[in-house]
Amino acid sequence: MTRRISKYKRFLMMNPIIQFFKFIYLSIKIMIVVAGGHGGTREIN
Amino acid sequence: MSRIVILGAGIAGHVAASHLRRKLPKEHEVVVVSPNSNYQWIPSNIWVGIGRMKPKDILFPLAPLYAKKHIDYKQAKAISFYPEGDAEEVKPYVLAEYVAGANKGTTEKVTYDYLINATGPKLNFEATEGLSPGKNKTHSVCTYTHADEAWNALNDLIQQMKQGKKAKILIGTGHAKATCQGAAFEYILNVEQELRRHKVRDMAQITWISNEYHLGDFGMDGMLMSYGSNIMKSSEMVEMIFEDRGISWILGAGVNKIEDGVAQYETLEGDYKTESYDFAMLIPSFSGHGFKAYNKDGEEITNKLFKGFMIVDADYTPKPYEEWSVQDWPETYQNPSYSNIFAPGIAFAPPHSISKPRKSKNGTDITPAPPRTGMPSGITAKLVADNIIEMIKHSNNELHHKGSMGNMGAACIASAGFGMTKGSGVSITTYPIVPDYNKYPDTQGRKLGKTFGTIGLAGHWLKLALHHAFIYKAKMKPFWWLIPE
Repeated sequence: MTRRISKYKRFLMMNPIIQFFKFIYLSIKIMIVVAGGHGGTREIN
Repeated sequence: MSRIVILGAGIAGHVAASHLRRKLPKEHEVVVVSPNSNYQWIPSNIWVGIGRMKPKDILFPLAPLYAKKHIDYKQAKAISFYPEGDAEEVKPYVLAEYVAGANKGTTEKVTYDYLINATGPKLNFEATEGLSPGKNKTHSVCTYTHADEAWNALNDLIQQMKQGKKAKILIGTGHAKATCQGAAFEYILNVEQELRRHKVRDMAQITWISNEYHLGDFGMDGMLMSYGSNIMKSSEMVEMIFEDRGISWILGAGVNKIEDGVAQYETLEGDYKTESYDFAMLIPSFSGHGFKAYNKDGEEITNKLFKGFMIVDADYTPKPYEEWSVQDWPETYQNPSYSNIFAPGIAFAPPHSISKPRKSKNGTDITPAPPRTGMPSGITAKLVADNIIEMIKHSNNELHHKGSMGNMGAACIASAGFGMTKGSGVSITTYPIVPDYNKYPDTQGRKLGKTFGTIGLAGHWLKLALHHAFIYKAKMKPFWWLIPE
């Protein structure tokens, strides 16, 4: 069955104060994922 | 002294040129050959397509920047490759034709010591009969001019809806092997929000049409991701969003013909169906540019350089899906026949799709092609630039910088609506981009935690912040290099 976005979840998604902290959190987390390095796959360490 | 020629000034070409110029002494020449006079931040085309940004907000002219930064710029398009030179020219060169200015129409042999092919894809509208931006009520957001035209048409339709017209809107992929589902996904959500903003949402039926087998495949075989405290499939997340926005969907559809307001498509079940619409935005298939290559004696050697896109250090051996491996994907983007030629970004030929290939009952391939968004394009361009810099400085051919899409994370901040307080974004990160089923066997080839999704206003702010940060970076303003690719 398809999940639905509840009214409470929508409040959390669109509340500017909560989302401001989410913005900081996301910026850091995304930075860690995408700037956390990259490399090859063929060499066995 | 070395001369590095970069073909293309999109994300990959511009990143390579800017890093080469910053890190190489001035006695080395950096030359950019591109038919486009402007740099455009493509991810923001979505907002041009809904009228919330103007083309001027997402582009800037290249010539003044390159003149200031001592990068030689030729507004020309590459025609053919001569990696061994020819009977008259001993150095390797690319034959380029000027497309503007006093030299328009004339050709030049642009010689090089190192060549970076960052020509990206050809938008292959011709592969789908009748698909052409601005014709048959279909549009595109692949370039800022296409996106601007799309907005004009959408705005006309919105005005008609305000007068009482009921409308059908179709957004998705316009070919059985198209890619870039993410851009279409962003656009459909933005269009839906704009219709609400104009108070005509109830007048429109919005439909997603795609060659994906599941919602949320995105040409990456979908993903299992962390979503808050839950673990969710990307298909479930996209289904949840579409249900929430009242968007219906057609999957496994290979669009093969467009007539005025009608899309014809084949399904994986082998049925031939049609879908009518008043406004459509359909992403075309991408292809190589059809470049030819010749050796010193003038014999054609195109198959040493190109396989549609440019051949690099990938494993192109044909094999069944079950034997595909993350090791098939390239690491250095170097052509195996000519060690001074590289192809980062979208210009390299992928070894195969990422999504599981599927055929219709009639034998038609209906499989998303692998996406290569701005972030991996930037990363691969930078590592190619770094390798060339080391080759020049240390006079050797060892490549220390590697970056396989099977060992690289990516972020997709998909706009789901514009507005500082009413906007929304779907933020997804994936690690790795190409799933590694041996390393992460229980989580569909990806690392949970580094593969996560979230929805909300912060996503819009993040995409807007990235828009400004990357345009700042592209303009090579002070400390631009501190912003990662």
